[in-house]
Amino acid sequence: MKLIQFLFGYRIRALLKKEFAQIRRDRRLAMSLILPPVLQLLLFSFVLNATVSNLKLGIIDESRTPESRNLTSTLTESKSFRMAGYYYSVDKMGDAISKGELDAGVVIPHDYTGELERGRPVTVQFLLNAMNANTAAIAQGYAEGVILTYNRTLGAQGIHARFSQIAAPALSRKGLALMTSTYLYNPGLVGTWFVVTGIFGLLIILNGSIVAATSMVKEREQGTIEQLLMCPAGTYEIIVAKIAPLFFLLFMMVLFATAIIKFVFDVPFEGNILILFAGAALCILSGIGIGTVLATFTHSAFQAQLTSFFVNPLLTTASGAVTPAEAVPGWLQPLVRINPIRHFSVIARSSMIKGSGLETLWPNFLVLSIFTVVMVSLSVWRFRKQLS
Amino acid sequence: MTASATEAAVSAIHIEDLWKRYGKVEAVRGISLDVRPGEIFGLIGPDGAGKTSTFQVLAGVMEATSGTASIFGKPARDARSETGYLTQVFSLYPDLTVLENIRYMGDLRRVPPDEITRRGQRYLRMFDMDRFEDRLAGRLSGGMKQKLALACALVPEPRVLLLDEPTTGVDPVSRREFWDTLAHLAAGGLTILLATPYLDEAERCHRVALIHQGLIQNTGTPAELRASLNSKRMELHTSNLSGAEEIINTLAGPDQEIVDVQRFGDRLDLIVRHPDAAEVILRDTLIPAGLTIDDIRIDEPTLENTFVATLRNLGQEVHSEPFPGRHGHAELKGQVAIGATNLRKEFGAFTAVKDVSLDIKYGEIYGLLGANGAGKTTTIKMLCGLLEPTFGKMQLAGKSGGLRSGSVRQRIGYMSQKFSLYNDMSIKENLEFFAGVYGVPEEEREEKMRWVLSFSGLEGKQDQLTGSLPQGWKQRVAFGAAIQHEPSILFLDEPTSGVDPLARRAFWTMINRLADAGTAILVTTHYLEEAEQCNRLGFMVAGELVTEGSPTAIKSAQGGHLLEFVVDQPQRAMEMLKTDEERWRVSLFGDRLHVITDDEAAAAIRATTSRIELAGMKVITAREGRFSLEDVFISVVEKARQQGKFVSED
Repeated sequence: MKLIQFLFGYRIRALLKKEFAQIRRDRRLAMSLILPPVLQLLLFSFVLNATVSNLKLGIIDESRTPESRNLTSTLTESKSFRMAGYYYSVDKMGDAISKGELDAGVVIPHDYTGELERGRPVTVQFLLNAMNANTAAIAQGYAEGVILTYNRTLGAQGIHARFSQIAAPALSRKGLALMTSTYLYNPGLVGTWFVVTGIFGLLIILNGSIVAATSMVKEREQGTIEQLLMCPAGTYEIIVAKIAPLFFLLFMMVLFATAIIKFVFDVPFEGNILILFAGAALCILSGIGIGTVLATFTHSAFQAQLTSFFVNPLLTTASGAVTPAEAVPGWLQPLVRINPIRHFSVIARSSMIKGSGLETLWPNFLVLSIFTVVMVSLSVWRFRKQLS
Repeated sequence: MTASATEAAVSAIHIEDLWKRYGKVEAVRGISLDVRPGEIFGLIGPDGAGKTSTFQVLAGVMEATSGTASIFGKPARDARSETGYLTQVFSLYPDLTVLENIRYMGDLRRVPPDEITRRGQRYLRMFDMDRFEDRLAGRLSGGMKQKLALACALVPEPRVLLLDEPTTGVDPVSRREFWDTLAHLAAGGLTILLATPYLDEAERCHRVALIHQGLIQNTGTPAELRASLNSKRMELHTSNLSGAEEIINTLAGPDQEIVDVQRFGDRLDLIVRHPDAAEVILRDTLIPAGLTIDDIRIDEPTLENTFVATLRNLGQEVHSEPFPGRHGHAELKGQVAIGATNLRKEFGAFTAVKDVSLDIKYGEIYGLLGANGAGKTTTIKMLCGLLEPTFGKMQLAGKSGGLRSGSVRQRIGYMSQKFSLYNDMSIKENLEFFAGVYGVPEEEREEKMRWVLSFSGLEGKQDQLTGSLPQGWKQRVAFGAAIQHEPSILFLDEPTSGVDPLARRAFWTMINRLADAGTAILVTTHYLEEAEQCNRLGFMVAGELVTEGSPTAIKSAQGGHLLEFVVDQPQRAMEMLKTDEERWRVSLFGDRLHVITDDEAAAAIRATTSRIELAGMKVITAREGRFSLEDVFISVVEKARQQGKFVSED
């Protein structure tokens, strides 16, 4: 009963009307909530894409047999590698890698065919320029994928070619890497699926917090805060009314972004779309919550934005949105655990790509809900103290 | 040579048939004006009269549409090196120190560096600001900021100074100092043209022009303008002000013996043609109605009376519909609405408010006055429940606890200093918002809005964006918005700042009507002539309430006398008297010298006259004048200062 009174009370209606009237006049805000996020989504997802192609590959073929030629052609046929030349000594190829003429090199030993025929595993040396560790790791992954396919063509005779990967500075050390993977959910290994779902949450939090901070601090900046605090409306009513139009606009943004994810990036929608929207709604509220709390600590839109520049990159990096969450160092893991971007990206990825439902995602929903409630309560509590 | 060319040759500022149009809007419609060297010339007029446009043309920052504007014979644009221009907005860099600001302005005008230092120091000493050389401009008080802006404008040694409303928002003490400075500069030969909405400031000009709708209506010395009214001002003290006002209002009119009546805090001011005849009329009407006539005093009309009468003749009076009040609070009258006992507020080690106790009853208008930094705003914020006091008891709307609850705020109307409306919403949306949030009954909203629009003179403009309104109009709408829900307690923090005199009268008529209906009203203002309309006043100095009482009681409690001298060399006389009196006791009003003394009046007149004459000057007239509330205020502040109560200079 009290809730109904609150929701349909005359004060909240007046406050809502005022906030929507102000937002309506602020065309730039509405535009900046819809247009840039859409562009950012497109841009980030294309640029942050981890797909690497046309790596320059050098080859030393000591075996010189049809089998070894078969291996080299399998490697260079893929889009990932481009044949950049044959070498006769490991030292020369090492030089070429260090000069940057090559990204990777492969050494096929002289007993390659013989060992294969004898049914024994054979080791192929793979040299990588690990200056760009990420590219190197990806190149390795590709090469392993290629060798896996190649192994299959060798038939079920129990013979396997094996790669040994050596980073460029340590040419002499030999290591073994054996890999058998099955790619579930994303069999085509489309990198954008990961990136685009991560960027989605990031955009919601980034835009939500900045816009909320700016619009909350506006009352203070223009000096109308006293007048507002003196009116009989409760702080909850004021804050709910402030949040409502922002929520509305941000949700429009979510709809646009979802359409782009679906139609531009071809991400499959395996799960219930309502799960995604419910997660997005909570994520929006968390973002707004961050913004309203920031606003109560700052005196101008300028300060609020600078403060959010401090908070947002931290949330972004410790989120697993664009880099694996597991890569975040241990002491930062608690931040990952409460990070709304993290939880939303889990929801988005799982529900879209895996088709997961609430039965597995409820912990993420729970964390997002708690985060929202804490942030909004904190801003309500801080709001009245602003004048002192 | 034609007559006007001769005039132009001796004029510092010469304006002839000046027009300025912005698209279809005619801001200035053919004004002509001559300001003599060394003169302080005041331009007064309502909001939007064309004052700022005139200044911009004279300062050479804007072309006139047609007509001439010249400074010492040169077109305004070519004479920019001769003019110093102070705009309404502070033109200082808040992140630079006082000296750095001066140096920057000097460098811009290519003043040699050692000259900048020399002149800068001279002006800072003259303005009593040399202690603050290294303080950041952003950390100066409003009055000091204006003095610094003035110093910056003076460093290139202009011959003409253009000041556009330089004292809006500046407290009375700083304003008095600022004017003393101007008087000093003018006596040194500087020509000053100045716009002001404060008519008590206009009294300190040598000559004044009343500008209205882009035309000059009236020019003359303050005395000439006052005399042009051909009337006397009658102060009437009676037991029942609202009753008497009502009766006299039916008698008053432009062709009647009683021309006008205005209500003050403890008296009525009547403009009458013949005091004796008017007194007879009053006795014949008031006494049969059971009203008393306690005291009648006759005085000269003020400049404000002249201003109002002139604008009235031009048909500019605000005719607003009567306020559709539905919920009076008459039954509450006499009870305490706002009560405070030993209220105290500390911010860290700094005590902003010390042991303030006051009681404001329903139906009472209480004026809280003080210089900037005296703790006024902090006190109001505590009284209305926005700020928690450190110590002390509070009572608001009959409650002593839970002052921050919505039900208490529901009974309060609050108009904050300057920003109480949303600039990015239309007038209608603003009014609807405040009506909605205070829960004004649906069926009353329509007529309330109609009333606010008529009170503000904005009928038919409800869809205009509030941000596009001039300050004066915004204040009227904000006032209307604050009283829509008919609060029983009303806080008004500088409600009339930037409001022209006619609208100010409408404000006070309304404030009186609300008080008659039982509303308790707390009001602050920097404009002391206006403060006389309060029933009771409290003066704050350095966080303490030092004086309290009705305007008349406060004025009569002020010991000492005000002496007014007309001297042949007023500036020299002032300089001389200031050397052996305390500085605040001597000030220059146009060509008249005011001296405040604690001695017996006649003896003091004789003593001062002989001192002036000994120094080789001539006293033309000498008489005892009457204290204005501002004189009283300034001496209260100064005396408190001498007792060691320092007003914060931050």
